[in-house]
Amino acid sequence: MSGPTTDVLALLEATFDAVVIMDDRGRILAFNSAAEEMFGYRAADALGRNVSMLMTGADRLAHDEHLLRYLATGESRVLGRGRDVRVRHRDGSEFPVFLTVARIPRTDPPQFAGYLHDTTLRRKALATLEKERQLNHLYLDLAQVMLVATDRNGTVQLVNQRAGRVLRKQDGEIIGRSWIDTCVAPEDRPAARTAFRNLLMSGSEEPQSCEYHVRAADGEDRFVTWRGVALRDGENVTTGVMLSGEDITDQRRAEMEARGAQERMNSVSRLATMGEMAAGISHELNQPLAAIANYAQACARLLRLPDPDLPEITGALEQIANQALRAGEIIRRIRSLVRNEDVRREPLDINGLIREVQGLLATDARVHDGRLDLDLHEPTPPVTVDKVQIQQVLMNLVHNAFEAQGNIHSGTPGGEPADVRIATRLTDGGDVEVSVNDHGPGLAAELEQKIFEPFFTTKPTGTGLGLAISRSIIKAHASRLDYRANEPRGACFYFVLPAHVETPT
Amino acid sequence: MKELPQTVFVVDDDDAVRNSLKLLLKSAGLHAEVFGSAPEFMSKYDAAQPGVLVLDVRMPGMSGLELQHELNLRGAAIPVIFITGHGDIPMAVEAMQHGAFDFLQKPFRDQDLLDRVQRALTRDTEYRAKLRHTDRIRERLASLSPREREVLELVTQGKANKMVAGDLGVSQRTVEIHRAHVMQKMEAGSLAELVRMMMAIARQP
Repeated sequence: MSGPTTDVLALLEATFDAVVIMDDRGRILAFNSAAEEMFGYRAADALGRNVSMLMTGADRLAHDEHLLRYLATGESRVLGRGRDVRVRHRDGSEFPVFLTVARIPRTDPPQFAGYLHDTTLRRKALATLEKERQLNHLYLDLAQVMLVATDRNGTVQLVNQRAGRVLRKQDGEIIGRSWIDTCVAPEDRPAARTAFRNLLMSGSEEPQSCEYHVRAADGEDRFVTWRGVALRDGENVTTGVMLSGEDITDQRRAEMEARGAQERMNSVSRLATMGEMAAGISHELNQPLAAIANYAQACARLLRLPDPDLPEITGALEQIANQALRAGEIIRRIRSLVRNEDVRREPLDINGLIREVQGLLATDARVHDGRLDLDLHEPTPPVTVDKVQIQQVLMNLVHNAFEAQGNIHSGTPGGEPADVRIATRLTDGGDVEVSVNDHGPGLAAELEQKIFEPFFTTKPTGTGLGLAISRSIIKAHASRLDYRANEPRGACFYFVLPAHVETPT
Repeated sequence: MKELPQTVFVVDDDDAVRNSLKLLLKSAGLHAEVFGSAPEFMSKYDAAQPGVLVLDVRMPGMSGLELQHELNLRGAAIPVIFITGHGDIPMAVEAMQHGAFDFLQKPFRDQDLLDRVQRALTRDTEYRAKLRHTDRIRERLASLSPREREVLELVTQGKANKMVAGDLGVSQRTVEIHRAHVMQKMEAGSLAELVRMMMAIARQP
């Protein structure tokens, strides 16, 4: 038995592939260093042994048989044909290789050379690629945004799951079709086309934004805000666009509803305040009017008597004049409330403002069998406020305070009188704190913030808007309407108004 | 029994309204007494005083409705005319349900008020007369002996003397004697009159 010549062996050492040469009985004649590395045998250990030790499964068992058949009949299943096989490492592990076997020319008895190309690396690379591809898909699908890629013509190349869900379409119903004609709401197509053209023509790498509706398969339009980038190939030629879109339909709807609620609140507040005021005003005005009517009618009767009591009639006429003036005073106060609907803020004396409120709330206090006391710090620096708005806040707070106490005293004779106090005091910073205090039940801790929420109310007929509006008014004055417990009991609502600083002109 | 003069009682917390009402009533020849609050009225009012109460619905302390309730509890029968600054329908309904005589919205025509006051006074007079009538019947009833009382009950049920005698287990003659005493003590001229008397006190507790 003669092995390969030395120059052949030198050549074998130069190749990266493993090469194993065997004789007609399957014995190993040559085993190059690539083969040593691949199989874990040293050449010295491998030489002379049967090549089947490198094989696995059926190949291993049938190798000698195949070899004999070839030698007898010239029929081969392997020669000249490459194929993927699994081979066996010295440590018993198996791995795939690409095997080509050739008969070495001019050898008799014949010798065979096996070239083994390790496909593991290639497979690994392929597997990595596949994994990356899957990961990319996963990234696409995990994305909370809609992702759509199109070619230059706007034909969809790729969509992610999110896009499919928003559009309620299968990938197949989107991919390969015109993005704009298939998925964009008809009214928004011109805008979408313009945005698409701009994106293609832009030289910039910066994403461009636009917003338009897409139409889902069920006909529902979803409002989407898009960011798009142009896709470029290696030569910087634009090949298409990639769009990422966020479905903001629900968010937009919530914003609209919030805005609607705010507007509703504003108009209701005006109505509620007007309604409450109107009730108070009508009662207030009816008293002097009733007195005037009574006095006047009494005078007419007295004058018809044979011997009219003139001093009595004079007294009644004076009363008529007084009551008319009283009615006029009430109307003047209402006018000062209504006239200033949209006045600018002006620096003024908060104590004066509070005294006016006391006058306006006289009826409220009487109805609740209560007293409205003032505890005002004098002097206070001027504060820059919208007089009417601040008065409305105070009226609201005082009204609430009377109601809160009414619940426990219920205005029965012998019950404690309902007392409400409006107080002003200077803070350490020299600003003016205004507070409305009562001796009612106060607030449970869990209600302290809740009561400021719109439409939250503890009263059977409350709108739940009074405090919310009051707070928004005070907020507009760069302050905050807040609650604290009153000592020893009751509620205290307060806010701090910044002292007006005279700016040099 | 001595007749007390009829009085219009006015309860209103507003000085001007109260005093103007007093003058108006006076100008119409009515005697008025005014009060600034419900408790003040209650402390001075004697249910024997005939008249009418003109009452403001909304007052601090004790409201007009509460005063009405208090009067009802005490069995005071004085008619009440409510006056209010509000066209407050639920309040009016409540007041009427509790027996208010009428309801007026401020300001009002003097004649509207005076007409109502006049009608209320008339009703008060009639009511008190009826009350006096039934009081008298009750006094007479109290003077009957137990046996006479039994006879009265049976004859006003329409039973003849013979049946009454059977029911009571006495002779017809005895029944006739008792019956004569009943008619005499009750000052009834006929059986029909006796029946009317019994019906009057049955209606008027």
